[in-house]
Amino acid sequence: MSAMKNISFRNLLVFSAFLRLFLIIYGEWQDTHMEVRYTDVDYLVFSDAASLMASGKSPYQRSTYRYSPLIAFLLIPNSIIHHSWGKFIFSASDLLVGLLIHTILKLRGVPQSISTYCAMVWLVNPFTFTIGTRGNCEPVVCAMVLWIIVCLMNGNLLQAAVWYGLVVHLRIYPIIYALPIILVLDPLYFQSGKKPAVIDWSSSRIKSAFKSSSTKGGDPHHTWVSLTRLVTVRRLMFGLVSGAVFFCCTGFFFYLYGWEFLHEALLYHLTRTDPRHNFSIYFYHIYLQYEHEFSALEKLISFLPQIIVQLVLIFRFAQDLPFCFFVQTLAFVAFNKVITAQYFVWFFCLLPLILPWCSMKLKWKGLACNFLWMGAQTHWLIWGYLLEFKGKHVFIQLWLASLFFLAVNTFVLISIIRHHTYSPVFKRLERVGSKKTS
Amino acid sequence: MELRHCRIHISPVLGIRLIILAGIGSCVFVSSFSSEEALHNSNVEPNAAHCPETYISKSYFKKHAYLLDPDFQDFMAHELHTGSCEALQDKLNLVPRLSILHQHLIGEGSHRRLSSSIRFKSLPESLPEVPAHFCEAIIIERLPSGVFADPFELQHLLQRGVFADAAVFGDINLELPSFRSNRSIVEIHLDIGPNILSGHKNEVEINIELPLHARYPPLGKRGFSAVQFGLPDLFLRCSIEGKSHNESCLFMSTHGGAESQVVAAVWEVPCGIKEHEGVVSVITFITAIVSALLIVLTSIHYSDITDCNHLKQS
Repeated sequence: MSAMKNISFRNLLVFSAFLRLFLIIYGEWQDTHMEVRYTDVDYLVFSDAASLMASGKSPYQRSTYRYSPLIAFLLIPNSIIHHSWGKFIFSASDLLVGLLIHTILKLRGVPQSISTYCAMVWLVNPFTFTIGTRGNCEPVVCAMVLWIIVCLMNGNLLQAAVWYGLVVHLRIYPIIYALPIILVLDPLYFQSGKKPAVIDWSSSRIKSAFKSSSTKGGDPHHTWVSLTRLVTVRRLMFGLVSGAVFFCCTGFFFYLYGWEFLHEALLYHLTRTDPRHNFSIYFYHIYLQYEHEFSALEKLISFLPQIIVQLVLIFRFAQDLPFCFFVQTLAFVAFNKVITAQYFVWFFCLLPLILPWCSMKLKWKGLACNFLWMGAQTHWLIWGYLLEFKGKHVFIQLWLASLFFLAVNTFVLISIIRHHTYSPVFKRLERVGSKKTS
Repeated sequence: MELRHCRIHISPVLGIRLIILAGIGSCVFVSSFSSEEALHNSNVEPNAAHCPETYISKSYFKKHAYLLDPDFQDFMAHELHTGSCEALQDKLNLVPRLSILHQHLIGEGSHRRLSSSIRFKSLPESLPEVPAHFCEAIIIERLPSGVFADPFELQHLLQRGVFADAAVFGDINLELPSFRSNRSIVEIHLDIGPNILSGHKNEVEINIELPLHARYPPLGKRGFSAVQFGLPDLFLRCSIEGKSHNESCLFMSTHGGAESQVVAAVWEVPCGIKEHEGVVSVITFITAIVSALLIVLTSIHYSDITDCNHLKQS
């Protein structure tokens, strides 16, 4: 039975690999025969940057290249072996994400069949498999985030810290995971010489009802204890190592490419306020205010909802790490000042990790949430199309569509939280834990 | 370290490529790198003795930081050596000129194509004694600040052989709204053909379609902002075979006579309405705060509920 299920996941992986291979080949055909290219514009930017790098020049000579030089470095073979090299790398990462989803769920004791279904949510999701095959680099970042979770679950803190420093250097947004990781590195779960014990999915189902009050990250007493114990060797080590990796990478590329690197790859993303239309509710406000500088109050007001939501979610759900990552990312994207469709991949890769603990039935609430989210997005896209491709004056309608999209994101997030069975990843190591707390 | 290691492996390959490029070293080859940046980056520069500056606009931007119409007209009038041509010294007035027939925009929305129709008309008296030569039409579009041409898109068109050469000069930041950006120039070169001055073709009509993109315009009252184009500047450049070396002759075409009837295109770009300012800001922030509060309240109240009975049985 188990062998059969193993094979079925393997089959899923093989099918997914062939699907991606087919799409890469199809993309080649569409690019040469049709007016609209299959390949993402960013992929052409990566390729140009990579060929500049190969010739010893700065990848930032390619305007609109706003990533770490590591992405261009990964794609150097584009100009030597084949221009689709990068797509294979990104699609391989995309498959790796599927594999890691399966691994994490297995580590948490989720039955094989459920893990396979969950991996399927990523592997055969049309939105995600087109991302990698069109040449978007996000699957690499997703794979790294999931690998960090695997490392933490296996107690490989050093490796987790190294990867975390690297992923924050690659794409800044995983910085939002710093606090939950620090919180989860609790001496109650991590002790020297011991692999942290992961709570089994089936036991969490049985025990969660009566154990919930003592293990919940949201318990005010627990939060207070966590805060007082915040400075521990493991936390310091994680912070120092990941910080060192981040600063080494950043420093090295600053040495190589100077301020241009710092401006394009880091500061641009931190200070980005895009007046052009995008899914964010702030786009029209930014456009209307763009002719004058934003006041400190305006900056604070737009930052406040983001930071409050992040902090509350972290302190409520940090111990249920994958769930915390998911809700944090969904909220972070929803409240961001700039939202493009590729950001959705950031939480799509985490969604399968929370499904086994979600009591929402696919029929019909799950489907309703799904269609509502897609409907809100499509609604926005219709207005966006009318503005961008038909030249209609629909700024107000588009902005209202952004507001509706935020409302739907909020509704979906609230529904997910309400239907989630809170389940900390790690088992409390009672003996040492009680000594330490007493 | 890994990075350096890789570069050692790659540089010989590229070095060989550059040597081949340098060996060929012709103006035509260099022009295939034609975006302003690519030209600056390229190690291969055309040989100045035989091949003058490929792009006319590049000379302008060597002296001026921004595109201003009076400066550019002054540059064309005084700094371009048009009409000086040894090979055709006594027949300069017989050299045919280019003229624009019409200019209009194709498509809708923020991404459109500026279509220009240009006519090359031979004069009744052709120049039979002119040595072998090859001519190209040079079209310079001085773009208003409300639109831009994507150099990388032009490069793509170059690779497909749509233009012989094309480059963008000036403000090539593709993301700035028009009130934060400066103007740019697109220079397009098209091959007209060999020995056209002495040929018997009566008329050649050239159509070009230049892909352009609208920047976000300044706020307005009526919801649309008009982007007014000017007519392009047209030049004819012929490379004439000489005894010791080829001579490059540049002829400028002025808009006059029938051509002045041509109406330049206007692009109506949707713009934000200033009166929306207050309402939009207030509602945006209220929505953000309400959404945030709902999430916060849900997290506080509902995370305590862990009802196992509702768990999905898959």
